[in-house]
Amino acid sequence: MADKILDIPLSEEEIRSLHVGDVVYLRGPIYTSRDMGHFTLKQYLDEGKALPVDFNGAAIFHAGPVVKKRDDGGYDLVVIGPTTSIRMEPYHEMVARLGVRGIIGKGGLAEDSLKQFAKSGQVYFQAAPGCAVSLAEGIEKIDGVYFLEHGVPEALWILRARKFGPLVVGMDSHGKSIYAEIRKSADARNKELYG
Amino acid sequence: MWNVESMGKIVDDMIYRSTTTISPDVRALMEKAFAEETNDTAKSMLQAMLENERMAGEKVKPVCQSPGFPTVYVSFGDKSLPGCDLKKVWAEALVRGTNRQLLRPSMVHPLTRENPGDNSGVGVPNFEIDYVPDQEYLDMLVSFKGCGAELANAMQIFTVAKLEKGNDYAGLKRWVLDAVIKGGGKPCPPAAIGIGLGGQMDVACKLARKAVSVRRWDDVNPDPLYGRLEKELYEAANSLGIGPAGTGGKTTLLAVKIEGASTHTAIAPAAITFHCWTARRAGVRMYPDGRVETTL
Repeated sequence: MADKILDIPLSEEEIRSLHVGDVVYLRGPIYTSRDMGHFTLKQYLDEGKALPVDFNGAAIFHAGPVVKKRDDGGYDLVVIGPTTSIRMEPYHEMVARLGVRGIIGKGGLAEDSLKQFAKSGQVYFQAAPGCAVSLAEGIEKIDGVYFLEHGVPEALWILRARKFGPLVVGMDSHGKSIYAEIRKSADARNKELYG
Repeated sequence: MWNVESMGKIVDDMIYRSTTTISPDVRALMEKAFAEETNDTAKSMLQAMLENERMAGEKVKPVCQSPGFPTVYVSFGDKSLPGCDLKKVWAEALVRGTNRQLLRPSMVHPLTRENPGDNSGVGVPNFEIDYVPDQEYLDMLVSFKGCGAELANAMQIFTVAKLEKGNDYAGLKRWVLDAVIKGGGKPCPPAAIGIGLGGQMDVACKLARKAVSVRRWDDVNPDPLYGRLEKELYEAANSLGIGPAGTGGKTTLLAVKIEGASTHTAIAPAAITFHCWTARRAGVRMYPDGRVETTL
């Protein structure tokens, strides 16, 4: 079967057609954002400041790259892979309000995000953890950067993806989370073993 | 004896090895897990990880974008003193490694989050130094441990009753598995856990980090009780179904390592440190006559 490639911006219809376990690749601009990025975007929204990029239909990537600065002032991507997503759980409402459709990371988000996904038409994509070299192969180049004052990992990097993945749908817009299901059965197993 | 230059070269090489590859014991365990895994998603995830590690070595790139947090374990005796300022050598080598894009600049102030941009900072790297008077060589091991894994760590001061000593420590085992379950995909499984027992809170935590950082993940604990618990917890954790990346499968942990110290009769401190599959570490043994052996 041919690889399923989704173009960014992502439509609600496309996102709602995805289910837990589906494997996809992404093409188009991907924005990195993690703790300080989310924190800063929230400040921008609270203060009514103009956002640096358009998040409608966007895919955000919980990640901070290794980059190399070129002589012309631009940046080349060295490697990039997912960071642990749960730290961004408190921002689920804001991320939905921005219009973000796809969230890429590792380890999944929690119950509030899952409810938000159903309401707003969003999904969570699990990237292979610790696979920064192979994931970087799917990125053509870096198109720009904002918030660099927070340091390289926390900045908002605009990555141009040619075929980014593979990504497994870990949480969908139909109330299903692979992480919640595994946790439930694992808890039962622990009880069976040790009471 | 070593000076800043000769020691600097050895340290540069340790940083290079530990960022562009994973330690050979862990690679072998990953290959074994790949051969034995039966879940399709888990198998393809393990394959991707092994492939990524191979590519990193070939292309001279970091295996993982995050260098985690570095701790250097050093031990020496009267006849094997470092002969130079090891802390300075390491701090400078981290900056060099950052400028070579082997390390992402990830070290920040704990509150302001200010990032100097070169992995310099107070307490970087962390040092654990052991003086062993009769030791005729200097041992040095660096461990870059990822910090998603830190989000899964746990610490508890148990008591005799809470350990459930009469029920073969079921209280402790349940707590360990609970941490593995709550950790889920966060610590980049297949993970390893270090369990530190005894002392007070600080001792248990340091033992947990040391157990999973210094020991080979394929070794057997010489202490029969700890050895038995390591094996049981390893098998129990791998029956939970969490799997590589936390998306299902039987490969959840590659290793369980326990280290203990005596404690006070009123308490039973226990700490768990998680380690991701990218075991970025390198060790050397250095003799006063200038010989340098690779230990990891």
